[in-house]
Amino acid sequence: MDSTDQTTDRATALACEQVTRRFGGLTALKEIDLSMPQGEILGLVGPNGSGKTTLVNAVTGFYPPQDGRILFEGQAINHLKPYQVATYGIARTFQNVALFKGMSVLDNILLGRHIFMRPSALASLFYWWWAQKEEVAHRQKVEEIIDLLQLESVRDEPVDVIPLGVQKRVELARALAAEPRFLILDEPMAGMNQEEKEYMVRFILDAQEALDLTILLIEHHMDVVTAICDRVVVLNNGEKIAEGTAREAIKDPAVVAAYIGKRRDAA
Amino acid sequence: MFYRLSGVHHTRYETARQLWPIPADRWQVWILLALALGAPLYMADLYLTSYMLPWLVWSAAALSLTLLMGVAGQLHFGFAAVMAIGAYTSIHIARAGWPFEIALIGAGLTAAVIGCVFGAAALRVKGLYLVMATLAMQYLVDWVIINVPAISGGAQATLQTPDVTFLFVPMQGDTALYYGALLWAVIVTVLVLNIKRTSFGRALVAVRDKDYAASIIGVNSFKYKLLAFFTSSFLGGVSGAVLAFCYYQAVTPEQFGFNVSIQLVAMVLVGGLGSVIGAYLGAGFVLLAPIFLTNAMAYAAIQGWLTVSSNLLAHIPLMAYGALIIGFLLFEPLGLAKIYDNIRKYFLVWPFRHSGS
Repeated sequence: MDSTDQTTDRATALACEQVTRRFGGLTALKEIDLSMPQGEILGLVGPNGSGKTTLVNAVTGFYPPQDGRILFEGQAINHLKPYQVATYGIARTFQNVALFKGMSVLDNILLGRHIFMRPSALASLFYWWWAQKEEVAHRQKVEEIIDLLQLESVRDEPVDVIPLGVQKRVELARALAAEPRFLILDEPMAGMNQEEKEYMVRFILDAQEALDLTILLIEHHMDVVTAICDRVVVLNNGEKIAEGTAREAIKDPAVVAAYIGKRRDAA
Repeated sequence: MFYRLSGVHHTRYETARQLWPIPADRWQVWILLALALGAPLYMADLYLTSYMLPWLVWSAAALSLTLLMGVAGQLHFGFAAVMAIGAYTSIHIARAGWPFEIALIGAGLTAAVIGCVFGAAALRVKGLYLVMATLAMQYLVDWVIINVPAISGGAQATLQTPDVTFLFVPMQGDTALYYGALLWAVIVTVLVLNIKRTSFGRALVAVRDKDYAASIIGVNSFKYKLLAFFTSSFLGGVSGAVLAFCYYQAVTPEQFGFNVSIQLVAMVLVGGLGSVIGAYLGAGFVLLAPIFLTNAMAYAAIQGWLTVSSNLLAHIPLMAYGALIIGFLLFEPLGLAKIYDNIRKYFLVWPFRHSGS
């Protein structure tokens, strides 16, 4: 199945043009070009330290690129702060679960609705006349996402007592609560067993279908990448070394060299 | 058992998200409110004006600080200065002949604006450095108040509060002053409780817990830190004004010194960071513990159980008080609120040890 043919006529969701990011003398990203049509699931793979997370941090405004442009739906977003990127319809999860430990699962997901709410101390003071309606309306939206990701049973638990696999799902729910059009998942399956991985894949595909998402997925589990990604981009030492369907990319000699190393004798 | 959970089923989000979803908690709150409202009827004037009233005002001040230190996670060691700004502003506005209501709002706004100016400078730093920056605010504000006669009326001066009316009620006599303090305590309590369950409070907690995760869901952390400073300083300023008008009925710079800031921090820490009931318990503890210890020491000395010089007698309560705070930080870092919560959880399933699930 060659899905690139299906997606070529779609509008471009994310485009990176010659994105370069340096940390002192280290060039973490070297002139990365990347184009993602809407609705695509793109796998971003590469060995440790190859610049996958740095690229995601560049897109989300944490490490703005020194050179090059990042366009989202045609608008340049490379100068934006992370909290501004959120309003463009981009959501992400983190490699190490970044939930708010002091709050319940429900409050964590409700925070995902932040960009749609108008928080103020005055509205809180007059809660019953002012804030309650808004809180309840957003609670309903959150319950839809809780349904979608099957988090009903842990809804009121504090996030630090639930298992890691569920925490990752809560983080996905928080990202989805912002109703994004573009979702970045940074190793959503790290540290999970086979069953949890299968659940997670199912939830990601469900979410993509329900919300019509474009997904950028960083993942080390090649079975997952092969199964759900339309295309993969392989990074090594901050450079893009291969691009294409997962099966093609795995066979690419440059990828084999990056992961396993080169044969010393070419015989 | 006492906090009966069976039969409590919320079918609407409004009721599920109300302040006290368990009926037993609601009854307790109503009883406490009735007791507070009826206090002038059954309480001797001495206790009403020298225990209940200051406790309520200091609780309101501790609540203002716990909003900043507990909910938003920004340390502030100069909160007495914020209260001083509020107290002096309100007195000057009231003396200029403006209504008391405007004086209170002016006190809050002035404290909030000055607090924010320091906050904006201080928020570029975190943790210990923020403590130092807010300490600088304490000393700077103290210095300005003492050395500008237009504010303090002279280095050693005491400014008397003028007679005022609040919402057409003259603020004279113990009962009126007590109800004034109670009203303010109730307003701050409702505000902080509501902040904690709405988007504003969630954003503050998000910035406190993980600022990078907060930013990716659209929370501008600098803005919310500043809003926390603004709100908290506003409440602190009005609390200072209420303290001046309802309790001291005069202001001098010493009433809002550095030691008062530390006392406020102690109230918040002993009570439990970010907890509303903790602010009340902490304020009660910090106000009452020295009095109780002094009386106990004096009684023991009079009875001849221990022979101490009067000089040492004055200092033993202070030492014990310091030891108690250290003890809290070591053994119950979440404060009196956590102790209350443990007791409540125990009675939630009493006489059984665990809940079923």
